[in-house]
This record gives sequence, structure tokens and C-alpha cells, in this order.
Amino acid sequence: MFEDIPGQIYRTLIQDNRWLVLMDGLLVTLMVAGIAIVLGIVIGALVAIAKVNVVYSGRMKWLGVICEIYTTVIRGTPVVVQLLIMYFIIFGAASDKMAPYVGALAFGINSGAYVSEVIRAGIMSIDRGQMEAGRSLGLPRNITMRSIILPQAFKNVLPALGNEFIVLIKETSVLGFIAVTDLTMAAQLIRSRTFDAFIPLILTALIYLGIVLLFTWALKKLEKKLAESDAR
Amino acid sequence: METTQYLIETKELCKQFKDNLVLKSISKTISRGEKVVIVGPSGSGKSTFLRCLNLLEIPTSGEVWFEGKLLTGASEQEIDRLRAKMGMVFQQFNLFPHMTVEGNITLAPIKLGLMDERQAKDRAKELLSRISLLDKLDAYPSQLSGGQKQRVAIVRALAMNPDVMLFDEPTSALDPEMVGEVLDFMHALADDGMTMVVVSHEMGFAREVATRMMFMDDGKVLEEAPPTEFFGNPQNPRLQNFLSQVL
Repeated sequence: MFEDIPGQIYRTLIQDNRWLVLMDGLLVTLMVAGIAIVLGIVIGALVAIAKVNVVYSGRMKWLGVICEIYTTVIRGTPVVVQLLIMYFIIFGAASDKMAPYVGALAFGINSGAYVSEVIRAGIMSIDRGQMEAGRSLGLPRNITMRSIILPQAFKNVLPALGNEFIVLIKETSVLGFIAVTDLTMAAQLIRSRTFDAFIPLILTALIYLGIVLLFTWALKKLEKKLAESDAR
Repeated sequence: METTQYLIETKELCKQFKDNLVLKSISKTISRGEKVVIVGPSGSGKSTFLRCLNLLEIPTSGEVWFEGKLLTGASEQEIDRLRAKMGMVFQQFNLFPHMTVEGNITLAPIKLGLMDERQAKDRAKELLSRISLLDKLDAYPSQLSGGQKQRVAIVRALAMNPDVMLFDEPTSALDPEMVGEVLDFMHALADDGMTMVVVSHEMGFAREVATRMMFMDDGKVLEEAPPTEFFGNPQNPRLQNFLSQVL
């Protein structure tokens, strides 16, 4: 396993310009995770608001039921199975070029279910006096939600959201199931060529760790910025 | 229409929470320029009555009229439009903690298209200088004292140029030494001719400012009179008992 480390590094990265394969894989991972995070926030926020509104107004119960089914099914089935269904059934084995986007869609829909519960918890954590204050000024419910409730809710749940997205970034490592060459798949390809396991896999693990550390750092920055109004 | 002469009118207003009948058919009128102070023991329904006036609480039955328009049963948009003319001040201030003082004051006028940003900011400065808090323009609510918060909350409501101000126990959450600054500001508002409906335990303020006192108990208005009569010669035994406890 540990023999000939310099040789392994040479074969894994330099020979046949294999570092380019890793680099391309990394870009695919970042792109899929990026799209999925944005989708997750959008879907999650919409579903959370829909759920809260249905409970508040008692109207459009069917929408609440749909949202409930969505979170139940998505959270109750494995993400790999969802990915496979999306690729082989819904998109009928899309082209190689489209596969990463199909993957991003599947991960976005998956993430949205978890994010919606996090955001819903955030909305519920805001004192109802905030909604009343907004409404008493004549602001419609949707504007009060957008300008007053959601910014505070978002701030409260930012650490939980960050956690969610860290899981998501690492979960994209199963993209190989639908023949997408992400970072993990790239390492696998190299390993199968060179028959060296150590460097490709450890290097891949380190790259994921690096992405997550960077993400965590950015999140801390954002948290600090949002905490400005807490300062006394 | 007879209702147009009153600013606010309630007709047989009832509010029920689960099995609890909180308001029992209240029919009252409030005219422009009046300062009505509502007192009563806790649980008497006075806050609920106040919150029904701008439909923060939806009445179970009965009608609320405002400026000649029926609020109960109006469309959402119509209710929002009318609410904008009824300023409300809460016991817990309810400032928006993620916004500066200026943001708190200018949000609604700008979002509702009543003023452009320039006008709204000028108005905020004008109102803040009136309460000597202009230096807090860029402060966040967490950086203010309780009394300052409540005065900013009043200013936030005033920025909408309301026709009436509703106060729901505005000094009950304040440290004693901060009650005065809030009451002084409310007093000044009253002197300017603002129509006010105030739920409060501040009997001194009520005596000085009110044009009419209301005593509520058990979901009903049991007595109504100008303050001199109300405090000097109360009729209802329950009011007599209440006054003997609070005065």
C-alpha cells in the first residue's frame, strides 16, 4: 500500500496528464453541488412557506398535502435510488452531456426536502409579534414574510443549513451511479488504470475535506456579517 | 350613512377563543380626536378588543367599521390599505431586530409605495429628532433601551401618517424609570390632536389625557365616562373595587 509513493504520485497525476481527469471531476462535483444548493434553497424556502401558509390560513389544504408527500417520500428513500430513478426513468438515460444536470436536479430536489424542514423551523422560531407588527403597518402577508420573517429565520438556521449543504457536497460522490465523472469517479478511473489505490483515494478525500473547510469558513464569515444587528 | 361620522365603530363585536368567550357583543363608537383609555383587570378582554379594531384578531361575529368602511368581511387588500391608517404600538415593542432604526421606520412607507426612499428617510429623521433620537438612526434595536425602543416603535407607526393610534399596554414591559419618556411622548401626540385608543394601567396618564375612560371586565364594557367622573364617582361596583385596588 505505502510502497513507492513518488511513483504512485507520478502515475496518478503526471503520467498521461491524469491530473486533468481529477481537475475535470472536481469541476463537475463543484458545479453539481452548486446547482443543487441553489435549487435546495429555492425549493426548500417555497415548500416551507407553503406549509406555514396552509397551517396559518387553513386554505389550499391540497398544497399542504403535496408538500407533505414530497418531504416524506424524499426523506424516506435513499438518494442513490432517487438519482437512478431521475436518470433512468424520468429522463430515460439522458446524454452524457446532460447527465450532470440531471444529477444536479436530483440532488437539488433531495436537498429541498431537508432544507424545507430547517427553514420551516426557522420561521416558527420568529416571535409572532413580528408578523403582527408588519401587518399592523399595512404590509401584506407575503411582503412581511419576505422582508421581516424570512431574513430573521434564515439567520437563525444558517448553521443548520450549512450542515445540510456539507452533507450534500459529499453526497454528490455517488454521481458515478449515473455515469457522471465527478471527483470520486475520476479517482476511481485513475485507480483502475494504475492499480494504485492509496494516492488517488487519499488525495480525493483531502480535496473533499478542503472544499468543506472552505465552505465552512465562508459560512462563518456570513454568520458574522448577519450577527451585526445582535451587537450590543 | 350614519357610520361615517365615527372614525371607528364596532357592532355586536364578539370574540371566542375555543370555549372562552372573550368579547361579549361590544357596540362602541370612537370619534376623530377622542382619546379613549381602556382599563380593566387582566383577562377582561381589553387587549383583544383593541386588536379586533385593526383585525389583528379576527372577530368571531359582529362588525368593525373604520372611516365609514366595513373592515370585517373586506378583501385582504382593502384590510391592508385600511390597516395602514391605524398605527399600532405593542407591549413588546416588536421592532424588527435585523433592521436599523431608520430601516424600521422607512420599510412600510417605501414598500407600500406611499413615499420614495428620500421622502421616507427625511420623514424618519424629522420624527426621530422630535424624540431626540436622531443619533440612533443607524443603531439596531438591540442597542436601544426599552424606552427608546418603544418611542421608535411609536415613530414607526407615525411614519405612516395614521388617522388613529392604538396602544396595547405600551409601558407594561418597561423598567419604571423609562415609563415617563414614553408617556410624555404619547401625551405630546394627544396634544397634537391624534385620535388614540389606549389600553393601559397608567391611571395618572389616563386622568390627564383621556377624553373618555372605558372599564372592561368579563368581555363587556361595564362603565364609560370622562375621567373626572370615572375616577371621582364610579357607579359600577366592580369598577369601584378595581379602582380601590389600583389607585
